[in-house]
Amino acid sequence: MKLETKKIPESEPEMVEIRYHWITDEIQEIISFVKIRQGQLSATRDGKRFEVPVVDLFYAESVDERLFLYTASDSYEIRMKLYELEDLLKNKSFLRISKSMIVNLMKITSVRPTLNGRFSAVLKNGEEIIISRKYVPALKQVLKGDES
Amino acid sequence: MTRQKWKELLIRALRLYTLLVTLITVLMIVLGNLLDRGRVFSYDAFVSPLVYALIGTVATMITRSDKELSVRSLVSRKIIHLLLIEGAVILIALNADTIPTEKSWVLPGLALGIFAVFVLTHIILYLINKKDAEKLNADLSRYQERQMNGSPIHE
Repeated sequence: MKLETKKIPESEPEMVEIRYHWITDEIQEIISFVKIRQGQLSATRDGKRFEVPVVDLFYAESVDERLFLYTASDSYEIRMKLYELEDLLKNKSFLRISKSMIVNLMKITSVRPTLNGRFSAVLKNGEEIIISRKYVPALKQVLKGDES
Repeated sequence: MTRQKWKELLIRALRLYTLLVTLITVLMIVLGNLLDRGRVFSYDAFVSPLVYALIGTVATMITRSDKELSVRSLVSRKIIHLLLIEGAVILIALNADTIPTEKSWVLPGLALGIFAVFVLTHIILYLINKKDAEKLNADLSRYQERQMNGSPIHE
């Protein structure tokens, strides 16, 4: 694929143009990346494509090699790997809390201990998700504002 | 298992071990005073809480799991854990000269005492976790405020 960049005067709006023959996985990946940068995720539900605003996202979970996005009341599937999404959202208040899940820290109401010595996060829609012990130190660090 | 995981496991084991040594020592004082007040021990008696706490800690490592367990599996594991400790300590007691197992109340008293320590340990560990969660919640509130106010900490 040929890559072309062009410097334009400040009076003109910046834009990304993708010229394609067919929407391949590679093209879709680039589109997804640009949309995430704009605060949106391209995902599907019941075969239809939706643009999910990142701020509405509660958490993302990987199940059997498939990645699902969860908002307050809906779920979507996105064609991406969890680590790729984690990487793209790491500067947007998202954090890995288990091997298969990243959560939007802005959507957590509270954290509470579970009977097996772990923690669970209660989300703003009342849902409760488990935080694995392994990821608790990183959570503490991020919440304190120390990411070093 | 990664180095970080080993480190966390070691810290948890040490925390549990220290807690168990304390609770077992208290249990020995209480049971001893109630059931066998006149007995005199040598300095070797100080080793007992250390050994029993080690048994309790090792039993935890045997029954631990990295998976997120359901309540049912969790309760089953806890029962196995308790039975392992009860079995090991009673076996030691039966072979030790210092514990008068020939007296009918000693073994039930010991079993009950182990159960009390087991329950107390879990309550104390839960309370420690609860305190940790309170701290996390305070940090979470501050974090969310910072983000709402547009602080660059996570940007």
